[in-house]
This record gives sequence, C-alpha cells and structure tokens, in this order.
Amino acid sequence: MVNYAPKTLQEALKLRQETQSVPYAGGTDLMVENRKDVSYLFINRVAELQQVLEDEAYIRIGSGVTFTQALENKLVPELMKEAVSKIAAPAIRNAGTFGGNLGNGSAKADSVLIEYVMDAKIRLLSVNGERIVDVDRFYKGRRDLDLRDDELIAEILIPKQKIEKYAYQKVGGRNALAISRISFAGIVDTQDGKIKRIAAAFGAVADTVLRYKEIEKTMLGKTVEEAKELRETYIKAYMDNMVLTRGRVSAEYRKAVCENLLRDFLELI
Amino acid sequence: MNFYLNGKPVSHEGDPAARLLDVLRDDFDCKSVKCGCKEGECGACAVLIDDVLYNSCCVAMGSIEEAHVLTLEGFRETKQFAALSKAFGELSAVQCGFCIPGMVMASHALLLKNPHPTTDEIREGLSGNLCRCTGYNAIVNAVENAAKEGDGLW
Repeated sequence: MVNYAPKTLQEALKLRQETQSVPYAGGTDLMVENRKDVSYLFINRVAELQQVLEDEAYIRIGSGVTFTQALENKLVPELMKEAVSKIAAPAIRNAGTFGGNLGNGSAKADSVLIEYVMDAKIRLLSVNGERIVDVDRFYKGRRDLDLRDDELIAEILIPKQKIEKYAYQKVGGRNALAISRISFAGIVDTQDGKIKRIAAAFGAVADTVLRYKEIEKTMLGKTVEEAKELRETYIKAYMDNMVLTRGRVSAEYRKAVCENLLRDFLELI
Repeated sequence: MNFYLNGKPVSHEGDPAARLLDVLRDDFDCKSVKCGCKEGECGACAVLIDDVLYNSCCVAMGSIEEAHVLTLEGFRETKQFAALSKAFGELSAVQCGFCIPGMVMASHALLLKNPHPTTDEIREGLSGNLCRCTGYNAIVNAVENAAKEGDGLW
C-alpha cells in the first residue's frame, strides 16, 4: 500500500482530499485493528498539529498532541490532565493523541469525556476551509463522526473557564492499561450561594458519551440548600433518562455505578 | 522507508502499515523485541524511538521515517545497560525473562527523563509492562538500585 507522509498541514489536507487515506496519528488504536489493504496518511510528523496554543477564548490542543505532551504542558486544564494521566501507560500516552482519541469514535475515549463537560469544540480542516463543531454534535454515535472524507481533525478548542469544583472517576479492571468500563466527569460552580453552572457526563456506558443538558438546566439558579434537598430528584431524572448498553460489563452494573458516581458528584455542591 | 536502527542507517521496503515489531524481528533479527499481545497491553515489544518509549506492535513503519529506533540489541552496548543488567541480576529480578527486554527499555526511558525516580515513579514508568513471574517488586528494586549505582549515567 502507499505511504503518505506529509510534512506540512497543507500537504496533509491535499493528500486527504486526493486519496481519502486513513489518518494515522499515534497508531495505538489503528494498529490494534491491524486493517489489511489500508493506506495510512501519516500525520504524526505534521508540526502544525502538535501545538497547544491559547487565544482569548480557547485553549487550543492540536490533534497531534500526545497525552504525554499534554501532561507536560501548562496550558492544558487540570481536569483534562487528571483524565489523561490515567490513560493506559507511558508507552501508549507517548503515542496516543487527542485527535486519535476522538477519531476512533469510541464512547470510552477518556479525553473526549472531558471535552463533553468542558463544552469543547472540534476544529476540522479541509482544503476547502474549516468547520467548527460542538463535540457532542461531532460524536454522533459509535464510530459515527461528523467528519467528511476530505477533512482532518485539526484542533480541540476548550473554552477558557474557571472551574470551582470537579469530579473525575474512571472505573476500570486495574490501575494501569485499563479501558474504562464506566467513566464520569462533573463540574459544578456556584455564585452567591446558587448554582451557576453544572455539567455531568458519563463515558463508556452507551454508544456515545452521555450528557443531559436539560436536567442540568433544572439545577441552575437553585441555592445550595435547595439543590441538596432535590438531590434524589436529580438522580432519579438521570436514571429515568439513561439508556445504557451492555459492554464488557452488564448494563445493570453500569447503571448502578453511574448512580453512585453521580451521587458522589452531587455531594460536592 | 529509511530509519536508524541502533545507530545504523537502514531501510525497509515493504508495506508502510506493517508493524515495527514484525519488521524488527523478521527483517532485522532483533529477537529481543518480544511479541506478547499485539495490542499495546503488555510492553514486551517496547523500544525507544527518538529516546521515547513506544510499543513497537502499535507503530506502523510509515510513521518512523528518519527516526532513531533503539532495541536491546543496541542498548546492551552501553554503560547504562551494564548498570541495569547488574542490578537486575543482583536482585534476581528476572525469572522466565520474556518481559525483561521491554522492562529494561522502559526502565531506560524512565531514567532518561527522570534519573532519580521515586518508587512510585518507577512503578508508574513500568506500569505498561506486564510480568507474570516476579510480582514486580524485585524489578522495581532493581531499577531503584540501578539509578543509585549508575548515578550520572542518565
């Protein structure tokens, strides 16, 4: 098969359009699949995709940034670092990238869960221009992404935000090298004793990451005391809405763990 | 595809999607690189590419153009290897040996970044390398000793 190894982003976009070859960043998911008769577009040498930048509104993580590079970068938010530090082990974190974690289209992707609660946007590029898509719109379903044949994931745009309290939990079979069985991230900020923002997302329990903005809205503006009293009501709302799939563990187990993780998170209020 | 293997320029004519693991073993006779899982889960095939640790089963040949690949076959010529080898031997950190090339490469990668690691940092550094014989403690102690006795080498 053909070796497409661009050195610049322009070259990469042109090759992507002309060949529809499969973008290869870190290889840690693709090489496990070990597809036959595939031509990869090796974007691991494209420097433009390997930067973490900051502008007025966003922390911009290049799709080719590895998890190890992110852990060593001051701009990357702590919550993201906490999730990324629990991915696999050093050799995988040295190779695995943010773009690859997204592009693999799995609801188990640990960095993607954080992108959901932080309201990240995905910047997509093609020779024809750019599109910027909310992460929850980009992730349509299992292995189903809003990514066109000529596009590359260029950056993850994380809105700059002050996070007051957050929770992150990854439930796996062991400490290192674990694929998430259930993962949870939540953020809650209060102002003048009232809930100003709340975001909670569940990973690895369905075809995509789950976040229920409608339920979150019912909590906004409540005082801390009110929210505490309504805690069981919120939990019930989540449980009524969550339709979980069976994976490596049963749907029932997943749901019970989700409920516990949510309850722990709501204790933070 | 051209790259450097243990310091020497080499080239590979073949499928760019081939695993570095298979090419190292089959075409370059680097039999220290073990195949344990082909999923990046065991670390037995770990090598250094440009001084960074990777599982060679999860590296496609097309991604390493002009890169420097280090396997145990090259690393064993160094003083750093001598320090690790002595420590592993003295502490009986080796039983069946299958995981050891990967363990040694992971130890070297760790010490390059962090020449004076804590016990926890060593465990973290080796967390991607599975060993079914030793129970790990002897290996962790060996890396600790190598870092002490080989002080200045990394």
